[in-house]
Amino acid sequence: MESEGIGRVFAALRALWRRGSGRYALIVLGLWIAVAIVSLFWTPQPLLATDGYHVWAQPSAAHPLGTDGTGADVLSWLMAGSRTNLVIAVLTVICSGALGLLLVGLMVSRSAGLASTTVAVVDALISIPTVLIALLLTVPFGASVGVIVGACSIAYGLNLARIARPSAMLAARSDYVESALAGGASGWYAFTRHVVPNIMPVLTVQLTISAGTSVLAEAGLTYLGVGVGAGVPSWGHSLSTSVKLINVFPLTVVWPGLVVTLAVVALNLLGDAFNSAMDEGSL
Amino acid sequence: MSVEIRGLNVTIGGHAGSARGGSGRDGSGRDGSGNAVVRDVDLTVGDGERVGLIGSSGSGKSMIAKSMLGLLPRGARATGSIDLGGTEVIGASDRTLADLRGRYVGVVFQNPGTSLNPVSTVAKQIELPLRLHYDLTASERRDRVMAMLDKVGLTADMAGKYPHELSGGQQQRVGIATALITSPKLIVADEPTTALDSIIQRQIVDLLVSLVDDAGASMLFITHDFSVLARATTRCYVIDDGRVAEEGATADLLASPGTPVARELVGSARRLTLSAVGSPAVSSTVSSDRGGAR
Repeated sequence: MESEGIGRVFAALRALWRRGSGRYALIVLGLWIAVAIVSLFWTPQPLLATDGYHVWAQPSAAHPLGTDGTGADVLSWLMAGSRTNLVIAVLTVICSGALGLLLVGLMVSRSAGLASTTVAVVDALISIPTVLIALLLTVPFGASVGVIVGACSIAYGLNLARIARPSAMLAARSDYVESALAGGASGWYAFTRHVVPNIMPVLTVQLTISAGTSVLAEAGLTYLGVGVGAGVPSWGHSLSTSVKLINVFPLTVVWPGLVVTLAVVALNLLGDAFNSAMDEGSL
Repeated sequence: MSVEIRGLNVTIGGHAGSARGGSGRDGSGRDGSGNAVVRDVDLTVGDGERVGLIGSSGSGKSMIAKSMLGLLPRGARATGSIDLGGTEVIGASDRTLADLRGRYVGVVFQNPGTSLNPVSTVAKQIELPLRLHYDLTASERRDRVMAMLDKVGLTADMAGKYPHELSGGQQQRVGIATALITSPKLIVADEPTTALDSIIQRQIVDLLVSLVDDAGASMLFITHDFSVLARATTRCYVIDDGRVAEEGATADLLASPGTPVARELVGSARRLTLSAVGSPAVSSTVSSDRGGAR
């Protein structure tokens, strides 16, 4: 059973690799994960090392991407930031997926009252922007990675529920779900074992988009001061500390901007590659 | 398992109490507070008996079956009494119904192509009731699935296939295997041959009848085709506009139908049988669908 699961993962990776967009996404994501792991043990300069005599320095052998306004090494902070952004993206996918699926399950439940109430609640809450959710969460909890994950999970979970509902409704009203119920399955069992596997294409694409958007959200929220806490390395932190002098030292903004762009594009293309692979029946 | 249905009414979109008031002037069954699709139906199935439920499309046959299983669609409501082997179904808790379904009552569905989960293998579909109702190890479940596949005339290599890799007849054999894997005491077959061609229809009916008889189970066989019903049942009820129009031994009803609806159904079955017998192309294409996936 385990080897069957591993075989499926490799088959999925092969199907993605055959597509140009999938290949790009896998390379970028592979690099991202590798850098995040390496940064746990090694960065070109210690994160807390600053050189007051070389602030906003141009790229050099000692500082391949230059230094920021405190004289800290930009490359080291970007490498360490990849960890934070990876954690945010993974946790957002897990939490928004769990929330979205819970809401989808309620929206397609056999109880008409429960289903219509959940639909109304989702429709009402979905109008609240991610930034506002983050601001509300910051009041009791303070700026932190948890606030970003919480805000993104709520916003993207609601969005996932709304987008996945039509497919889930079709699956929930299908003969094979009725067949499972006739076999003695509970409503929840039928949902998790029969509805969810049949809406995986929608879920997969939406969750990869959520992962990409969480990277953008982290950058935006950190810039607004409600993102990662002070001193926590992240791509958003690197952007926000350098963007004030973008007209004078544009290069220090280019690097984190480039990394964010590459990661977001990779995640979006991964979603597209998943979608086309599933359409062709390769997955 | 015996079935005893008394005064069953099913309404959609309103309260069942109003269903007893009868149909509207247009004969649609719609009154001020709901659409009555089943009206005051009394029906019994004895232990080990094979009983048919026949009627034209939309007559309410499937709603009776769904009421028995507690699987009425959202907005539908049943009143009356349905006793399955001593358990009252109407008003029963979800837990009671879930325990009844699959373990004591097996269901064979109309369209095998849509009633099988497209992302589950044949083995996983068949073992589902076992997984839900019995505490067996994976190898025990696999052994039972393999034995069941053999019983329904499918080869062992079918276990790892997905529904789209099977023909219609093979898919329905999987449906029958799923319904019978727990050796239930009652089989509800809801038009199990409608989506199949006439040759496969006969094979499926014969298979179902032999398996049900071997297990000593009862069967409620729902169809709109008298030629299929005659092969599968000994007694039947004719349903028209949600009511029992006629009941009796299947052979007697086939020989001398008493109501217009029964006469129409018998006449249709005879015309279809005659045209099938008269066609040399049809009579020469008898073959088994065992093996040979699409």
